[in-house]
This record gives sequence, structure tokens and C-alpha cells, in this order.
Amino acid sequence: MRVDYKINDRFDFGIFIPAAILFCIGLAAIYSSTLNNPHAEGNFQKQVIWGIGSFVVFFIIYSLPTNVFKSVSIPSYLISLLLLVAVLVIGRRVNGAKSWFGFSGIGFQPSELANITTVLAMSVFLSRKKIDINSLRDIVIALAIGLLPVALILLEPNVGSTFIYVSIILALLFWRGISLFGLFIVLSPPLIAVASLFGFLYFLIFLGLVIILLVLFKKDIIYSASIFAVDLAAGFFTSYVFHALKPHQQARILSFVNPSTDPLGAGYNSIQAKVAIGSGGLLGKGFLSGSQTQLQFIPEQWTDFIFCVIGEEFGFIGTLITISLFFYLFYRIYKLAFSAKDEFISLMLIGILAILFSYFIINTGMVVGILPVVGLPLPLVSYGGSSLFANLIMLGIASNIYRTRKNYT
Amino acid sequence: MNAGRFASAERKSIVYFIIIGCFALLGFRLFQMQILNQTKYKEKAAENAIKPIEITPLRGVFYDRNMNVVVSNVPAYTLRITPAEYDTSLNGIIETVIGEDNGYIDKILKENRIYSKYIPIRIKRDIDFKAVSWLEENSEHLPGVDYIVEMQRGYPAGIRGSHMFGYVREITPKLLEKHKNYYKPGDMIGYSGIEKAYEKFLRGEKGYKYVLVDSRRREIGSFKDGAEDIPAIKGNDLVLGIDSDVQRVAEEGLQGKRGAAVAMDPKTGEILALASAPDFDLNQFAYVTSRDYLMKLYSDPDKPFFNRVTSAALPPGSTFKIMEAVAALDQHDVTTSFTITCRGGQTFYGRYFKCDAAHGTLNIVHAIEHSCNVFFYNLIYKIGMSEWNVYAKRFGFGRKTNIDIDDESTGFIPSDAYYQKIYGPEWPKSIMASLGIGQGEVSVTPIQLVQYCSLIANDGVTYTPHLVRGYLTNKDKKLVPFSYKQINTGVSKDIFDIVKQGMFLVVNGSGTAAGIKDKDIQIAGKTGTAQNPHGKDHAWFIGFAPFDNPQIAVAVLVENVGFGATYAAPIAKKMIEAYLEKDKLKDLEKNNRIELPKNLIGETGAR
Repeated sequence: MRVDYKINDRFDFGIFIPAAILFCIGLAAIYSSTLNNPHAEGNFQKQVIWGIGSFVVFFIIYSLPTNVFKSVSIPSYLISLLLLVAVLVIGRRVNGAKSWFGFSGIGFQPSELANITTVLAMSVFLSRKKIDINSLRDIVIALAIGLLPVALILLEPNVGSTFIYVSIILALLFWRGISLFGLFIVLSPPLIAVASLFGFLYFLIFLGLVIILLVLFKKDIIYSASIFAVDLAAGFFTSYVFHALKPHQQARILSFVNPSTDPLGAGYNSIQAKVAIGSGGLLGKGFLSGSQTQLQFIPEQWTDFIFCVIGEEFGFIGTLITISLFFYLFYRIYKLAFSAKDEFISLMLIGILAILFSYFIINTGMVVGILPVVGLPLPLVSYGGSSLFANLIMLGIASNIYRTRKNYT
Repeated sequence: MNAGRFASAERKSIVYFIIIGCFALLGFRLFQMQILNQTKYKEKAAENAIKPIEITPLRGVFYDRNMNVVVSNVPAYTLRITPAEYDTSLNGIIETVIGEDNGYIDKILKENRIYSKYIPIRIKRDIDFKAVSWLEENSEHLPGVDYIVEMQRGYPAGIRGSHMFGYVREITPKLLEKHKNYYKPGDMIGYSGIEKAYEKFLRGEKGYKYVLVDSRRREIGSFKDGAEDIPAIKGNDLVLGIDSDVQRVAEEGLQGKRGAAVAMDPKTGEILALASAPDFDLNQFAYVTSRDYLMKLYSDPDKPFFNRVTSAALPPGSTFKIMEAVAALDQHDVTTSFTITCRGGQTFYGRYFKCDAAHGTLNIVHAIEHSCNVFFYNLIYKIGMSEWNVYAKRFGFGRKTNIDIDDESTGFIPSDAYYQKIYGPEWPKSIMASLGIGQGEVSVTPIQLVQYCSLIANDGVTYTPHLVRGYLTNKDKKLVPFSYKQINTGVSKDIFDIVKQGMFLVVNGSGTAAGIKDKDIQIAGKTGTAQNPHGKDHAWFIGFAPFDNPQIAVAVLVENVGFGATYAAPIAKKMIEAYLEKDKLKDLEKNNRIELPKNLIGETGAR
């Protein structure tokens, strides 16, 4: 078994096999949910073609020299910023958001790639020798790298993707070793922002908590006051942004804050999704036999609500297998990041893990009704070429690092 | 937390446990939804996706006593439009084809806008065959237009039976409120006559077909290939006591007149024929009734909807004399040897009352034969007011007969108390003389008179008049009879023998209806004329046949024509002949001579 050992040693089947199976589960679910739906004709075939292309790219990335990633990080980050600006100018509007490039029938979302380049750029910055992760200057620079694409994406507007960037920023700073106070500086504005959505009372309560913590950290008064000012601004800015949002996006957020406000609007998808999954039971209703899926109760189910198809037609067994595969995939990436001695490599892997994991948890969380409905796909499974393409680039990077891991561990 | 150190072991564990924690939470949530609460979600999914569609059961049909179908179900075509697929530019041409005004389709589509666009809407029921073939030929150019076959009532026996059969119509909101556990808006319900009275037998049981629908309530296909469907159960067929031949001649006899004709089997209480004129065409009510036709019926001064058989309460005239004769004989102070001399009139309590002729000295039999008023003026004073009232009630007057269709009037039998109330304790007793010949305040209905005639014919015993014998079981078509109450006057047979002798002579002697004497059938009867202060008198005739073994009792009323013998008796004769001489009737039909010879009618002049 010498050959096998060699292949195992150079190629991480622990990443490739779960990814391939998840892609096939996705194909089955896409086939089931687009069958008899004239609006989704050809989606299955498109996904197969995108899949072949993406796996080719996976192997190309896998075989690149590992130091390439560091050298392309800054240029690719700048290019993706350019693309995000370009999409605002010449992009195609889909479901109210200008986030797509259209090339002869094939859509492409640059924000899917921008989160990878953001990980690369932040990893490069945070792995510099001279960095002091607890200096305000370096925190602000790191935040700026992470938040620049967020600002552009919010202009599209694409609310869902910003959550991914927040998780990237938090994961990388945390992994890099930011102090509790630093974390507090980073975290308090977004928390205040979310609290302000729940109403003025919650906004005040959180503001009070910020003041108490600032007192407890015992930093100098100007420092504390400026942090407080930033938090205050975040609260007001959020309510300003909220009012600038499209009504359907506001409704989505509000329907999470209070699900009974709009049971037939934004809440409808969430209710129907829960019915689909719950009614699957232990074994599911069988492939192509889910009534919620086949009778099209959930609009565009093959994209963000693909997990419902698995839940309804393959039951608890199906969802358990699916999340187990995800868990194993994440575990493999985590282990690589865990053992990597090179800080850039380790940070990059944690960034990739943060992207994939936050997509996964936000998507499944919204489908099972514990998170608000934000339009994010399930990695590898949902229909969508650019998402699949980006996911396999990330897994390609992870596999590449596995191949050359002995140089970095 | 080892601030500043790169990826400390603590932080690695924290990341690991965040991932584990999220997966655990997700796994638990899935377990909760898919295992613990699966029943709840399964029910919701079923509610979403499976729609029950009601299947209207076939309504029971009516058979006559000879098991000929008299009310049936016939297929009719209904035009439907599915708005989602329909192009409204077709409105004009379709309206022309189905013979409706411009804007007809648009109006119906607007009324139904609250329903899903994928549910077909009924545009017009009972479209003609020409329209159907046009739809068939042009179906490819008519997206969203189709037709379905629905059942409506048909009347194949050539009899109208308007008041008796009744009709079905779409349930009214008021009725719906009353019976909401079975009916839904748009359901048909028996609205009058037998259709109403036997609704529970006729309607059957609704069935349900389960179909899969998508999120827009559009039908996708059947659920489990129909394994869960509940088939509709056909309504029970009814067997009526009606004899179609008798009914037909009764309707023909009343044509162009106002009146009623009703025949009954005195031994069973079964109604053999029930006709009220003017009537209406039930075919116009088969499914939808045109507004114009309804308006015409409602505005007709002769009130075609009014069932004269059960609801016309008029003075019985001389037909009441039989009852008085029975009362007098039963009280034992009058026998056949009791006589009164008629000199053409007599004064009672200061008022002079006429007779048609000076009949001379008569006993009770000949008094009936000649319908001598003087005899019966004297008789009522002999019986007395209270006994007169008691005997009238024993024969079923003054209350409903409880025939098995609706809207019956009780008629009125005045009493001593009634007159005391009007005139005081010393009310003028001269009124009684009028009552003695069935005039004045007394009123009866044709159905009461036929019940009365049956009681006489059958020696004082009969059954509640009824139209329906029973229903047929769906499985083996066995008749399940309904039971009806016996009516007994408590008067002995020898008394009836005496009065029947008189009634025999009315037709076969030199009596008031000698004109309808039949050479083959021995008919007995009694004419009557109800005085009408508003116009010409109403003509009555009651009779039964054959004399020695009565099988049919008849009561006929013709309004505003004059003497009973002239107009009412010939109709009664034709009904009796239709019942007892089926062969002769067929010969007559063959020779197309259904009308009686004119001279026969002309001969009957006297009362």
C-alpha cells in the first residue's frame, strides 16, 4: 500500500471527499427542486458545468506553489475592490441588489471572491513581524482592510454578505491574539448596531453596558470617550442605513426581530421552510416526493433554501449526514490551521474556515428558523456558479497547504 | 487569554468549541423539528398541499307507482373559464355563441376575482349543444375555456307535476345558515315540493377527491392516485304513489283554467294525481332559472306558484252534505225513512232560503241525489252546531292533512264560540242554514276533500294522504316503505252504505252529475258550488270508483266557472277512467280522441 500512502500524504481526501459528496447532494437537491419548474429550467445542467469547471480550478490551485498565495494577496485584494466598484456601475440588478456581472447568460458575483482576497490581504497584514495587535493603529488598519469591501457591498445593497466579513474580521483578529479590550473595541459598535434595530430601549441598555465596561477596563478618559463616540455613531448610522434599505430588506430584518409582523411576506419563506424540514421526519418523503418542494411552496428553493429539500426528501438522516460532512470538512481545515506554524498560512486557513463556516451556519440557521432570512447560499450545495467556484478555490487553497504542510508545520 | 500571542492553545480551543457548539445547536434543532415535532409539521405540509374537492352526489330520481321514471337526472353542459389561461379578448365571441349580452363574462370574472386564477369559474350552466360543438371545434384557439358535464333535473314522463315534484335551486344564505353542517355556498338544495320534503333522502352523501395543489392552489394531480378519495353516495330514489296517466289527464283537464285536481287511493292514502292550475314549467328550474321567467311567474295575478290543492281554502258547497248526512244518521234520530218535503224554499229564523227546485218529499238518499238544499237546511238544525263541528273535524276538516309536501292551509270550520265572538251570545241562527249547504264562513282545501271522499268511499277509514310510498335502497333497489297514520271516523259501515247510495244516484240516477255516467265504471260522486262574492262561483266535484270496491277517490276544483257538474265532474271522470281503464286510455290515445264528446259536457246542467 505504498502508493496509497503516498497519495494520502500529498492529497487530503478528508477535504476532497466530503466536498465532492456535498456537491452531489446539492446536485440531487437542485434536480428535485427545479423539476417541473419552468423558471429554473436548465439550472441542474448549469450547476454540473460550473461544478466541472470549479473542480478543475480546485486542482489547479491545489498544484500551485504555496508561496503564490502570499504574493498575490495584495494585488488580488485591490482587483476585487475594483470589481466591487465596477459592479456598482455596470452590474446587473437581481432581486433588488446590483451585485452581479452578466456574461452571456452566466452571472457572476464579485463579492463571492472578494471575501477570499480580503482574507489574504488581512492575513498578510496581520502576519507582519512588526505588528502590535493591541495597538489601536494596527487594529484600525486591519479593520479598514476588512471593512472597505463591506462598505462597497452595502452599497449594492447586499446585507447578507456583510455578516461573512464580520466573521472574517473577528476570526482573524481573535486568532492573531487581540486583547479582550481590543475585541471589545471591535465588537461593541456592531453589537450596538444590532441592538438599535430592536428599538431605542435596547440601544440605551447596550450603551449603558459599554459605559460600565469602559469604566472596568480603566483606560484613559480620551481613549474611552472616543470609543464611546464610535459606538454611539454606529447606533445612529445603523438606523440611518436601515431606513435607507429597500422595504423587502427591512421586512426581512424586522420579521426576524418579530416574526409575527409579516407572516405572509418575509416570514412566509421561513414558515414554509420549517414546514418542509419538519415534515421530512426521520427518513424523509423520498427523492422527488417532497410536497413542499415539488409543489414549489418555497420560492427559488434551489438557491438559499436548498437545505429544505434535503430535510424534506431525505429526512433527519439526510440532514444529519449533510451536517456531519460539513463538520468533518471544517474539522480538517481547522486541524491544518491548528498545526500550521507559519502565521500567514494559519491565518489564511482560519479566514477560509470563517467564510465557509459562517455561510454554513447562517444559511442552515435561517432555514431552521433560528436566524433571520438573509440571502446566503449553503456552500457547495446551493445552486450558483460563483459561490461554488469561490468555495472550491478556498478548498483548493486548503488542499494545497495540506500538500506542502511539512514546510509550514 | 494570552493577549498578543499568536493562536494560543486557549484560543484554538475556543474556536473549536464555538464550532462544536454551533453544530450541536443545529443538530438539536433539526432533531427537535424532524423527530420531536414532525407530526405538527407533517399536518401543516398536508394542509398546504392537499386540497379536498367535493364530489356532488347524483340526486335520487322519482318513480311513479308503475315504476316509470317521472323525475330523472340528465346531463347538461356548463361552460367554464380558467382566468389564468384565458384571454379576455375572446369575451365578445363567446358571449355571442352562448347567447349572452356584452359584458356578461366580464361581470362573472370580476365577481370571482377573489379566488385563485387557476380555479375554473362557471360562466353559464346548461349551454346548448350548438355552443358545445363550437367550443369543441375551436378549442385550440380558446385557451382557458372548457366545459364540463353536470347533472340537472329532467322530466321524461310528459307530466309537469310542478307543485308536487318541486324544484332544486342554489342554496340561499338564509338556508345555508340553518344547515351549514352539510351545505356549502353554491350547493343545490330541494326548494319546494317533494324535492324539499325528501331532501335528506334525495341528496345522497357528498364525496371527496383529494388533489395535490401547488403554492398557487393550482391542481397538480391526484393524491396517492385517489387511494384516499371518498366516493359520493347517490341519493335514494323515491317511489311515488302517482299514476302518470291520471296525473296527465288531470293536468290536461285543468289547462287554461284555475283550479285543482287531486286523486287518492282510499285504501292506502297514496296520492294518485295532484295538479294545480296554473302551473309552471319545471324544466325552466332544472338548474338555473332565467330572471324573465321568474318575473313572469311572480307577476301573474293567477299565482302559478300557489299550490291550490293544499292551500286554496274555499267553501265546500254541497259536497259537505255527505258529512251532514253521516252526522245525522250516526246520531240515530235520522234514518232512511226520515223524510222532508221540499217546496223550493223555506224560512229559518226569519230568513227565506231557496232550493233549486221543489223536490217534493225526499229521504236522505234522494236528498243527496238531488242535492236538495231544503233537506239539509233542516238537517243542520237537527244535528246542532256543536255536533256539526265535531263531525266535520272527524272527517279531517279544519286542520292540516299533513300531506308530505309543504304549505298547507287548515281551512276553517266555524263553531258556536266563533259566532258568539262575532255576534254575541245570541248570534243569528239563520247563519246555520248556509253552513248546512256548505256555504258561508266554512272553508276546505281540495286535499281535505279528497281525504274526506276517501273516508266515505272506504267506509270511514283511510290513511294520511301522501305522495311518496317509500325509497329504494341503493344496493339492491328494494323498496323501504314509509308508514303513515290511519284516520278513522269511528262511524259504522252501514251508515256509509246509505250515503254512498245517494252518491251513486248523483251520477247514475237522475242526480246532479248524471252527465258523467260511465257505461263500464260505476262512479259515485257529489257536486258542489262554492259561492264566490267576487265573481263567478267555484265548481267542486268529489267522487270515487268503482262503486262496490273503491280504488280511486277524486276531488276537483275549478275556480270562477259556475256549476260543479259542468266543469269539475268531467275532469274527475277522465281521471277515474285513466286509472281504471288503462287499455281504453291507450286506445283513446291511439285514436287521438282524448277529449270527451262535447255533448256529454253540455248535458250536465243541474246541481
